[in-house]
Amino acid sequence: MAPKTRSASRDAGSRVAGALRYIALLVYLAAVVFPMCWVFYTSAKSTRQIYASPFGLPGVLTSPSRTSAQPLIENYAKAWVGSHFSRYFLNSAFVVSVSLALILLLGSMAAYVLARFEFRGRKTIFMLFVCGLLIPMQLVLIPLFFQFSDMGEWLTRLLAPSARALGLGELTVSLHDSHFGLILIYVAFSLAFTVFTLTAFFRTLPGELREAALMDGAGEYRVFFSVMMPLGKPGIVTIAIFNFLGLWNEYLFGLVFLSTDRLKTLPLGLASISMQAQYKSDFGLLFAALVIAMAPTIMVYIILQEKLTRGITLGALKG
Amino acid sequence: MSGSAGASPSRGRRRRDAGRRLFIATFIGPPLLLYAVFVLLPAVNAFRYSLTRWDGLGEPAWVGLGNFGAILASGSEFLPAIRHNLFLTFVPGVITLSLALFFAYTIHQRVAGARLFRVAFFFPNVISGVAVALLWILIYSTTDVGMLNNLLKAMGRHEPIAFTESGNLLWAIVPMSVWSATGFFMILFLAAMENIPETYYEAARLDGASAAGQFRHITLPLMWDVLTTGVVFLVVGGLKFFDAIYVMENGRPSKATHTMSTLLYSKVFQEYNIGYGTAISVMLFLLVLGATFLSLRLMRRERLEY
Repeated sequence: MAPKTRSASRDAGSRVAGALRYIALLVYLAAVVFPMCWVFYTSAKSTRQIYASPFGLPGVLTSPSRTSAQPLIENYAKAWVGSHFSRYFLNSAFVVSVSLALILLLGSMAAYVLARFEFRGRKTIFMLFVCGLLIPMQLVLIPLFFQFSDMGEWLTRLLAPSARALGLGELTVSLHDSHFGLILIYVAFSLAFTVFTLTAFFRTLPGELREAALMDGAGEYRVFFSVMMPLGKPGIVTIAIFNFLGLWNEYLFGLVFLSTDRLKTLPLGLASISMQAQYKSDFGLLFAALVIAMAPTIMVYIILQEKLTRGITLGALKG
Repeated sequence: MSGSAGASPSRGRRRRDAGRRLFIATFIGPPLLLYAVFVLLPAVNAFRYSLTRWDGLGEPAWVGLGNFGAILASGSEFLPAIRHNLFLTFVPGVITLSLALFFAYTIHQRVAGARLFRVAFFFPNVISGVAVALLWILIYSTTDVGMLNNLLKAMGRHEPIAFTESGNLLWAIVPMSVWSATGFFMILFLAAMENIPETYYEAARLDGASAAGQFRHITLPLMWDVLTTGVVFLVVGGLKFFDAIYVMENGRPSKATHTMSTLLYSKVFQEYNIGYGTAISVMLFLLVLGATFLSLRLMRRERLEY
C-alpha cells in the first residue's frame, strides 16, 4: 500500500513539474514574441498615438480606413524617403549580395581543392584558414584601415597614368568610404569560416561522379562547375544563410570604413538615427526604421528556417 | 618503336599533371591571396603597430611594450573595460546557458507546440545587434513609450527608472543579451539531445533511474562536447562585445561602460592614439585565444563511449 501511494504522489509531482516547465516555455515565448510584434504594430501609429497609448493596437488594425492608415504611411515615408532608409536598404542589398556571391564562389573553389586534391602545402593552407577562425575583427580593423590608405595611393599611382592616357582625367582610387573596399573586407573576412565548413562538406560528397565525369573527358573546371557545385548545393546554401545574416547585420567594419551618409548600410543608418538627439522622440520614425532593418532577416529566417537550424545542428554534432 | 610507345603516355601524364597543378593554383590562388592580404597581413601588422606610438600621420615611434605597460597600469581605462567584458560574458552567459539547457530539455520531452517554440525562440538571433539595441532602448525608455517603466507604473512606482544611464547600463544589457542569445544555444543543445539514442534512456528507466538521474548521467555527459562549444561561443562573443554599448551610449561610452572593443575604437578613431588602441586589440586577441583553449581544457573530460 505505502509504495503505491508514494509512486502515485511522485506521478502527480512530476505532472506538476511538467506543467510548470510548460508555463515557463509559454512565458518565454511571450517575452520573445511580444516585443517584436509590438515593434511591428506600433510602426503603424503616429508619435502622438504612441504617447497616448504605448501598447494599444493601431487604428489601421482596429478600424481599417484611409485615415487610420495615415500614420503608417507617414512613418514609413519618413523613414524610407526622409531618413534615407531606401538608400541604406539598397546599399545593404548591393554590398551583401556582391559579397555573398564572391564568398560562395571563392570559398567553394578553395574548399573543393583543399578537400579533394593532394598537393604540397595543402595542410599549411588549410591551417592558415583555420587560424582565421580565431582572429577577431577587432585585431585586423586598425592595421587594415591604414593599409587601405596605402593601397589606395599605390593603386592611384599605378592606374592614374593610363587613365590620363585614355582621356579619363585625374583618377584617384580610394578603398576608404567605398562599397568596393567594404566588399573586399567582407569577402576576405568570411573566407575562413566558409572554407573551413565547406571543406568538411566537400569531403563527405561521393567521389564516383567526379571520376565518371573525368573519364568522360570533362575537364577539372567543368567537373567543378557542373558536377561538384550542384552536388554541394545543400552545404553552400547553409553557408550562404549564415553569411547573409552575419553580413546584413554587420556594424563595426561598416562604422570604420564608411563615413559618407549616402553609402551607409542599414545597421549604420539605424544606429545613426538611434543616436541623434533630433530623432530620439520621433517614435513613429524609429519604429518604422526598426521594422525596415529587421524585416529582411526575419523573412529569410522564416523561409529558410529549416535549413538554418539544420546547419547549426550539423555544426554541433561535428563539434 | 617501343621507346616512343613508352614515352607518349608519360608525356600525356605530364601534361595532365601540369593541367592539374594549374587547376589547383587557379582555384586556391585567388581566395588565398585575398585572405592573406586582407586578414593575415593586417593581423600580423597589428602586433607591429602595438609596439609604437603613432597619431596616424607622422612617423610611428617605437615604444616597445610601453603601450602594454600603460593599458595594464592601475588606473588605466583598460582594466575596467576588461571587467565590463567579463561581466557581460558571465552574468548573461550563465543565465543564457541555463535557460537554453532548460528549454532544450523541456522541448525534447515532446511537448505540444515544440515546433513553434523552436522556431520562435530563435527569432531574436537573426536581428542585428544595432536593431536589438534600439528595440531595448524603446523597451527601457523613460518616456511613456517605455514598456518596462509602464509596467512599473502599473505596479505603483511613480518615478521612471533610467535603465540605460551609464551607471545602470551594464545591468540593463543582461536581459537584452539573454533575450538575443538563448534561442541559438537552445537549438544547439536540442540538436545534441536529439542525437542521443533513445535506448540509453530505456535501459536507464528499466534500472529505475529518475528523470534527474537520467539527465545527469546520460544527457549531460553525452552532450558535453556541444556544451563546450556553446561556452566557447559565449565567451568569445562576450569578449568582443561592441554594438549595444556603442549605440546605447550614443557613440561615446564612458569609463563606466567601455568594453575593450568600444575603448579601442574610441582610442584609435576618436583620439588618434593608434599604438595604444592596437595594443588593446592585441590583448583582446590573446584573451580570445586563451579563453578558447582554457574552455576546451577545463571542459575536457573523459570522452564517454557507451
